[in-house]
Amino acid sequence: MNAVKKIVKAREFTSFLFLAGLFLVVGIINPAFLSVDNISACFNSSMVYTLIAVGMAFAIFIGEIDVSVGSTMGLSAAVAGTMIQNGSNWFLAFAVGILIGVVVGLVNGWGVAVMKIPSLIFTLGTNGILRGMMYLQVGVEQVNSLPKEFKDMSSKTLVGRFTVYYCCAVLLTIGIHFLLTRTKRGRYFIAVGDNAGGAELVGIPATRTKVTAYLICGVLSAAAGIIFASRIGIVTSLSGNGYEMKAVAACVLGGISLSGGVGSVIGAGIGAVIMASISYLLVFMEAPSNYDNAITGVILITIVVVDALMQHRAAVNNRHARLAARTSAVPGGKEGLEQ
Amino acid sequence: MSDKTPKLGGQNGLRRLWNGPNFRWNLFLLLLITVECVVFGATNSKFLSLTRIFASANGDLTFWYVSIFVTFVMITGGIDIQSCSIVGLTSIIIGVAWQDFGMNIWAAAALAVAVSVACGALSGFFVAYCGVQAMVVTLGGSFLYSGLGLLVSGLSSTEAYKGISGFPDSFKALTKTKIFDLIPLQMIIFLVLLLAAYLLLHRSKYGRKVFLVGVNPSAAEYSGVNSRWITMSTYILSGLAAGITGVVMTSQLGTAKSDLGGNFTMTIITACVLGGTLSTGGKGSAIGTALAAISITLLRFGMPLCFGINKQYLDIPIGVLLVVVVVGRAIVSNPTVIAWVGKLRGKGKEAKAGA
Repeated sequence: MNAVKKIVKAREFTSFLFLAGLFLVVGIINPAFLSVDNISACFNSSMVYTLIAVGMAFAIFIGEIDVSVGSTMGLSAAVAGTMIQNGSNWFLAFAVGILIGVVVGLVNGWGVAVMKIPSLIFTLGTNGILRGMMYLQVGVEQVNSLPKEFKDMSSKTLVGRFTVYYCCAVLLTIGIHFLLTRTKRGRYFIAVGDNAGGAELVGIPATRTKVTAYLICGVLSAAAGIIFASRIGIVTSLSGNGYEMKAVAACVLGGISLSGGVGSVIGAGIGAVIMASISYLLVFMEAPSNYDNAITGVILITIVVVDALMQHRAAVNNRHARLAARTSAVPGGKEGLEQ
Repeated sequence: MSDKTPKLGGQNGLRRLWNGPNFRWNLFLLLLITVECVVFGATNSKFLSLTRIFASANGDLTFWYVSIFVTFVMITGGIDIQSCSIVGLTSIIIGVAWQDFGMNIWAAAALAVAVSVACGALSGFFVAYCGVQAMVVTLGGSFLYSGLGLLVSGLSSTEAYKGISGFPDSFKALTKTKIFDLIPLQMIIFLVLLLAAYLLLHRSKYGRKVFLVGVNPSAAEYSGVNSRWITMSTYILSGLAAGITGVVMTSQLGTAKSDLGGNFTMTIITACVLGGTLSTGGKGSAIGTALAAISITLLRFGMPLCFGINKQYLDIPIGVLLVVVVVGRAIVSNPTVIAWVGKLRGKGKEAKAGA
């Protein structure tokens, strides 16, 4: 019973309800949508978003942000894609792609945690550098003759109609969720994001935790890049552009607060599915794909504004409750308050 | 400031100016611009032609105009990443209102600017009065307004990718006019905007309030400043600037398109930060941002011209510039480093006194 209550009260449950409601509304408008094929397609197409949103969630947990995920993803896709295209060993290519993520993560972590530069600014700078390096790698041409086996990897299914990639992403997300909530080191991230100074005082290595968060973020976005290359099959010099903002949007939709210390990676995963589904749902609503951005914007703004108002209300109620408790403990206090 | 205290004499006045807010940083930016001019000019003499520089600046007007007013937003501790989509929205509204609804071109432009102000006000309202993080609201705004731009372009009989063109000459003349046959009118508009921003930010009560809200919003509230309204007003200003940019860019290109704003978001933030604005709020200057924007444009213009670097690689030097500047500032403002430099200076003075 308690477990059920806990789940219902969780922030990500609201996001899940929202996703279910979205599917239901579209299903009522166009019953053809409600088939296993279509719904699993929504989940499968969210794979790249899921990985970068979970990575971004780490940066947001510690109260920072990483706007270089899009270009990290693009660079890793470009480098690994070129290597695979030229016939090198796949695992070597994957390793090089991931290595890019490690390096980017460490550099970002150094700048933000050690040099104490505002994260938005620093990652903006690395974003520019990486984007430029990507142009150097891809140039005017594109990586478009990837081997068929590599591209087919993305359509192989594992459980039911869910692809191997998506199942891996889900397992990874659940695994990370348990590491974050059930282990001591995992809880450091939330603690540092909630109150960095306090965390430092109770002996949590705040700097190291922040660097680790950026490292994970870099690695996950690099992995997303490799999957992107396999799924789309083409890498241009613009690939991954704008994904950083979509990742932030997915996190916010999943109930993660940008002020840090609140939320879970499961929420990020659900937010990613919402972000990926919107354009797919529009097809079934027979609306032109022009609506995509406008609807994303409206949903995003509505959710955060409602959330902020509810939080404000809860804070005011808490304060009243505290005040009432304090004054009723003192003889005549309550009357005094009422007067 | 020195004219108010004539007793202190020239040298003190200079010292005051020297210690004044942002003066040294602006001097550094001027130096940067000079170095750019010298290096690029020495490599390729074609660089040193005002006509060419102005022509290249015309392509970068979006971030020149907008970043001056995004500085206001950043001083209050917020951030604005929606301006580029407002520029596009403004442009397409001008086009559709003129072509498909038969409005006078100037009325259409006024309508578009009014919409851009409303867009800024909407986001500002959510940030100031609902307490949502500025980053999230303007992120949502950037999706929303670029989406609206696409929807508006759907109302037109012209296909979206072609853009609406064929504007009357009087409208195009706005950007074809050159003062003394040299300075384009866009530059004059830029100077007027800059002057307005400077007066608002550094020479008016309103500007003081903007800074106060950035330093400490509660303190501002307790000292009688309507900090919510001040916060919201900065978003209105940046929306207005985006609207003006949309009008000028539409006139300059002669085409109304919904993606006219391009992807200058990161460049705008870079210009603000390079100009000495603290992203945590409370510090910044309009002049600094303008100088930073000019230096970025020179870089974007000079690199391909003088070193044959492909335009697409330009993100690298701008990114490096941003990282180097923020790391450098972090090192310089580090207390241990300041103490160390102070010690060195002290020793030097002692040595002099001893000699």
